[in-house]
Amino acid sequence: MGNVERVDKTLPLNDMIYHVRKDAELRRRWLEDLENLCREFGCSEREYQTLKAVDIRGLMDIGVHQYLIPHILRLFYGVTGMTNNHPALTAYRDAFADEAQPALKEPNG
Amino acid sequence: MALTHSPGLTGWFDAAPREEQDMALRAFEAMREHLDEREIDVLVIVGNDHLLNWPLSNTPEYTVGVDETHVGPADWYDEWLALEKFTVKGHAPLARHIVNQAARHGLAMAHKRDMQFDDSVSVPHAHLNAQAGRPIIPITLNCTVPPIPELRRAYDVGLILGQVIADHGGNERVAVIGTGGLSHEPGGPRYFFIDEEFDLWFLEMLKKGDHEALMRECTLERMEEAGSGGTAELLAWALALAFTKGPAEVLGYAPSHAWRSGTGFVIWPEVI
Repeated sequence: MGNVERVDKTLPLNDMIYHVRKDAELRRRWLEDLENLCREFGCSEREYQTLKAVDIRGLMDIGVHQYLIPHILRLFYGVTGMTNNHPALTAYRDAFADEAQPALKEPNG
Repeated sequence: MALTHSPGLTGWFDAAPREEQDMALRAFEAMREHLDEREIDVLVIVGNDHLLNWPLSNTPEYTVGVDETHVGPADWYDEWLALEKFTVKGHAPLARHIVNQAARHGLAMAHKRDMQFDDSVSVPHAHLNAQAGRPIIPITLNCTVPPIPELRRAYDVGLILGQVIADHGGNERVAVIGTGGLSHEPGGPRYFFIDEEFDLWFLEMLKKGDHEALMRECTLERMEEAGSGGTAELLAWALALAFTKGPAEVLGYAPSHAWRSGTGFVIWPEVI
C-alpha cells in the first residue's frame, strides 16, 4: 500500500501537531520553547531531534502522518502563499529530489 | 456534482497558468448555474477531514455538522487558503435526521456542533456558494488515516444517505457535492506528482456512467498508486455518484502542478 500506511497513529508527535496548529499559544511556544513543548506532549528524544532538524524523511520514518509534515514546515516557515517556491515546498524538493523531478520540469511547477 | 478542493484554488489561484485558471473559473460558473437552474435549497458538501476535527487517535469514518450556523475557515487554515471568515446557515433538522436515520440503516455517523472547516468545505463554498448563501450540511469522511475504505464503501454509504434524505419529508431540493481528488499525494514523497493517466481514466469512467465497473476497477490500491493519502479523496465523489444515474458531464480537467493536484469538475445531469 502507499506511503500513508507508514503512519504511527500512536506517535505523540502526531498528537502534538494536531493541537499546536489549532492553538495560537502553542504555536508561539513551538517557535520559542519547542523542547519543553515536545516533552509535555510525551515526545521521545528522537522525535524532538528529528523535528528540530526539520528532517522530512526522518519525520516520515518515525511515523509522522505525511499530511502533517507540510503543516510542520508551515509552523516553521509561515502559512501564506504556498506555491511551489515557498520554503516548505523547496524543502520537499530537496528531500525528495527524484520524486519531484517531473514537476520541476513544469514552467509553473 | 463533484470537484477538486485543493487549497491552491483559493490560496494561490494565480500561480497556475492562465488556461488552468480559465478552465476552473468556467467550471465554477457552470456549477453555480446548475445549482440555480435546479432551484437547489440545501447543499450537502462531502469531503475529507484533514486531521482538523479529529486527531489520529480517533478518526470516525463519517461526521455530520449539525449546527444551525457554520463558520469557516478554521484558524490556521484561513490565512493558508487566503479566505476571509464566512458564516453560512446550516440545516440542523435535516442534518440530525441524517445522523439518526443513518444509524437505523446500520451506518454510524459521528456528529459535531462546532465543526471546523479546512479546504474540503471552504474551497467549494467560496467558489460555489459564497454569493448564494444556501444552507449547507457538511459531512466529513476519513480517507487518510488507515484503514482507508474502498471506493465501494463510500458508494454504499451514498446509497444509504439517498434513502435517508428522501425519507426526511421536507420540501427542500438537496444537492450533494463531493469534494477532493483527483490524483495527488499531499505531504508524501511524491508531493509534486500527478497521475494524469489515472485522472483521465477515472473521468472517462464517470462519463460512461457504469457505476459497477468503476467500483470494480477503481480499487484503493490503484488510487494509492496514483497518489497516496490524497487520491482516495475520490471516496467523496463515489458517495455523490450514488445519488446519480447516467453519464457525468466533465466540465474541465487539468493536471495542475501549481495547485499540486489533478484538478477536475463534473456534474451529473440525471439524479435519482
